[in-house]
Amino acid sequence: MADDASASANPNPPPSPRSRQKHVPDWLNSPIWSAPPPPARHLSPPRATSPPPPPPQQPRHDDPAPSTPPPPPDRSDGSGGDDGAASSSRPHLLAEFTIALGRKVVDLAELRRLACQGVPDAAGVRPVVWKLLLGYLPSDHALWAYELEKKRSQYSAFKDELLVNPSEVTRRMEEMTISKRNGHNSEGTGMLPRAEIIHDEHPLSLGKTSVWNQYFQESETVEQIDRDVKRTHPEMQFFNGDSSDALSNQESLKHMLTIFAKLNPGIRYVQGMNEVLAPLYYVFKNDPEQNNDASAEQDAFFCFVELLSGFRDNFCKQLDNSIVGIRSTISRLSQLLKRHDEELWRHLEVVTKVNPQFYAFRWITLLLTQEFKFRDCIHIWDALFGDPEGPQFAMFKCVAFKGVAFKGL
Amino acid sequence: MVLVLALGDLHVPHRAADMPAKFKSMLVPGKIQHIICTGNLCIKEVHDYLKSLCPDLHITRGEYDEDARYPETKTLTIGQFKLGLCHGHQVVPWGDLDSLAMLQRQLDVDILVTGHTHQFKAYKHEGGVVINPGSATGAYSSITYDVNPSFVLMDIDGLRVVVYVYELIDGEVKVDKIDFKKTATMHS
Repeated sequence: MADDASASANPNPPPSPRSRQKHVPDWLNSPIWSAPPPPARHLSPPRATSPPPPPPQQPRHDDPAPSTPPPPPDRSDGSGGDDGAASSSRPHLLAEFTIALGRKVVDLAELRRLACQGVPDAAGVRPVVWKLLLGYLPSDHALWAYELEKKRSQYSAFKDELLVNPSEVTRRMEEMTISKRNGHNSEGTGMLPRAEIIHDEHPLSLGKTSVWNQYFQESETVEQIDRDVKRTHPEMQFFNGDSSDALSNQESLKHMLTIFAKLNPGIRYVQGMNEVLAPLYYVFKNDPEQNNDASAEQDAFFCFVELLSGFRDNFCKQLDNSIVGIRSTISRLSQLLKRHDEELWRHLEVVTKVNPQFYAFRWITLLLTQEFKFRDCIHIWDALFGDPEGPQFAMFKCVAFKGVAFKGL
Repeated sequence: MVLVLALGDLHVPHRAADMPAKFKSMLVPGKIQHIICTGNLCIKEVHDYLKSLCPDLHITRGEYDEDARYPETKTLTIGQFKLGLCHGHQVVPWGDLDSLAMLQRQLDVDILVTGHTHQFKAYKHEGGVVINPGSATGAYSSITYDVNPSFVLMDIDGLRVVVYVYELIDGEVKVDKIDFKKTATMHS
């Protein structure tokens, strides 16, 4: 198979046997699904092997394919280019991206199409592409500086307001309302003057509006966030080393998640949000451009918000059983799988009676972060963001197709 | 931001049955990091109750305490402050500020917490600050029957301490606060 040629040209082992089933489309055999991408993919297997993949195996899947709402030919086209284009002709891809990003007004459709092929690792392309695709940066170049400034200062305001402990808050409140009392009793002896407290603000206050009370109520969320952040990607030096960098990265993650939880009392913090945030922050922090990586926290926060806004309903407990909640999403996935691979679906549902909840829940809510190695996940996210229907639908499609890959089970 | 509860002279069960309900409703576990108790609890049940509020409990011996193992004085460091604890019946004249200042210099602490008089006091002198949290149950003292239940909560934040005074006056909880900073003039 032509694809084998490209696969074997890689220094990495070819895709695992199970993906070589004859009715699996060739783009699914692309290295990004099964093997870690080679660190320096400067190989050039003949470009002719890339799009379009050999037809004989296609027709079987083209029939059910068009019936799925987002058109797969678009998908397979893009990703078919992946195994060829991504692993070969990287300068070409890099050039294409540079052109696309260099335009005065970036064409998002074009960028999406390119992103589906995989964003090159070089030269800070990925952070910019992700920011554009997630809607953080506007398409017009001229507005970038303004937008960034605005968003970053907004984040600082959030931090200032929400991450301060109640002692600080009461001190500020006091400084605002009461003008400095005479003599901070630095000298002298005598009875210490008693002062009135404002608005019933004392640490043991049980009032709903009390800063202290809110602080203690949120301390549980904060502890949960703390525990999860410590467990994020323990194998990665970036998150979990002994260096002060790793610690400050963890601090940043904690800040972002805490602010998000406080700004969104509806969903607060749900376990797993740290996993979705981690790749975003990692990519932005490793941006070679100087001032971008200094404000990685701010950028990652807003991109995280954008990303979650698409499917925040999945996290809301009350909506679990409703039409937009997680259960219906899982059942939609299951239906999709059924349409594509009746046999596998039947095997799962009927023979082994595996509740789709077991596998689908994690895939959906964590955007596949837990299923692949970190590097792979970043590449997959390139394609996910690139899909015009938004990350969740793209994920549906690829998950459904991936189900096919598991045929061998 | 460390919260330290200072209280004492409960005299349970001899002079009072229990802390006022309004106080107990405010004191929930999980908020306070340290408890320092001047003494005269007097029984183990009170000790257990305080332990349930916060595991870090420091007590000094009052003259009616049934547990003889509490020390006479205690010192501990919380944040930037050194705190000293003593019941106060050992310091004669009782409640006399100069004598207490002497004790404070002996213990070499920034804040001295004593009790025995069952009256809230917060006093500053060049050696430091003396705080008397009063009686948490309002038990009568050797000197007077007219005692309002009171206790103290200190919020230690860097070099600044905010002392919240909780008093039960006419059935209502009144909260005041006292602010002071540690400066170079206080011995370090």
